[in-house]
Amino acid sequence: MTREAFIARLREGLRGLPPQTIADIVSDYEAHFTEGLAAGRTEADVGAALGDPDRLARELRAEVGLKRWEEERNPSAAASAVFAVLGLGAIDLLILLPILITVVSTLFGFFIATVAIFFAGGVVFAAGPFAHPPGGPATAILAGIGLMAGSVSGFAILTLLTIGLVNVLVWYGRLHYRLLKPAIEPQPIAAPGRA
Amino acid sequence: MVEAVQVQLKKGVLELCVLALLSRGDSYAYEIASRLAAGIDMGEGTIYPLMRRMQDEKLVETYLVESPAGPSRKYYRLTDAGKASFATQKNAWRAFAGAVNDILGEQQ
Repeated sequence: MTREAFIARLREGLRGLPPQTIADIVSDYEAHFTEGLAAGRTEADVGAALGDPDRLARELRAEVGLKRWEEERNPSAAASAVFAVLGLGAIDLLILLPILITVVSTLFGFFIATVAIFFAGGVVFAAGPFAHPPGGPATAILAGIGLMAGSVSGFAILTLLTIGLVNVLVWYGRLHYRLLKPAIEPQPIAAPGRA
Repeated sequence: MVEAVQVQLKKGVLELCVLALLSRGDSYAYEIASRLAAGIDMGEGTIYPLMRRMQDEKLVETYLVESPAGPSRKYYRLTDAGKASFATQKNAWRAFAGAVNDILGEQQ
């Protein structure tokens, strides 16, 4: 990536921050390119070593947002901190969300189905014997009980599945957070005691 | 898995490394980044968010120095708080690394 493209993407990613902050950050990276070129490297080489400008912009934004929250403690600062952190995970979230929605709606559908089968079983159990079913009233009663028992066990299995799914999500969330957190604010957690 | 562990290890010690480099003498970001990139294989771009944070936390301060290669360079130097933080973090690291080495040694 050329110097121009790198700086342009960085600026794009930083949009919305105070102009002075953007100017400071951009001048840091401009200086880096200048030094690198003076040391005989190519623009592409320096750009590659710097890393993904979008990612850098996200981290820098998060840093500014969190810093503001630490200084101001008002709802607007809180919102900017939350959005900054959300922004960090944006790509993962976009991949995760459709999967999550699919799984949750499938589970929800199965839950509805088990409840419906339970009530259908109830109807067969209560009304079946009077409807002259093939095999006699006892068959209808047993079939009704069978349907209800089946739906209850289905419901239980679905509940276990849902709990497992939530556990996996929590695990994933924590993993995600632990990877991100040191990059954004390794010290602020430990620092207040020392600072 | 190994990669994730390495990333976390590196991020954890990045600030300590910067403090150590600056304790040996003032430096500018490009030089710090090159040293870290060569030493522990970090992306050079990671240094700038870190330097901003350390500056906000008053661990380092900056001053400008005329450069032979064009515009003046922004040099970083440790503040007193930065020196104190370096001493604390260095001891914590030594204790931690020693304990981990002991445990690793026992298992071999």
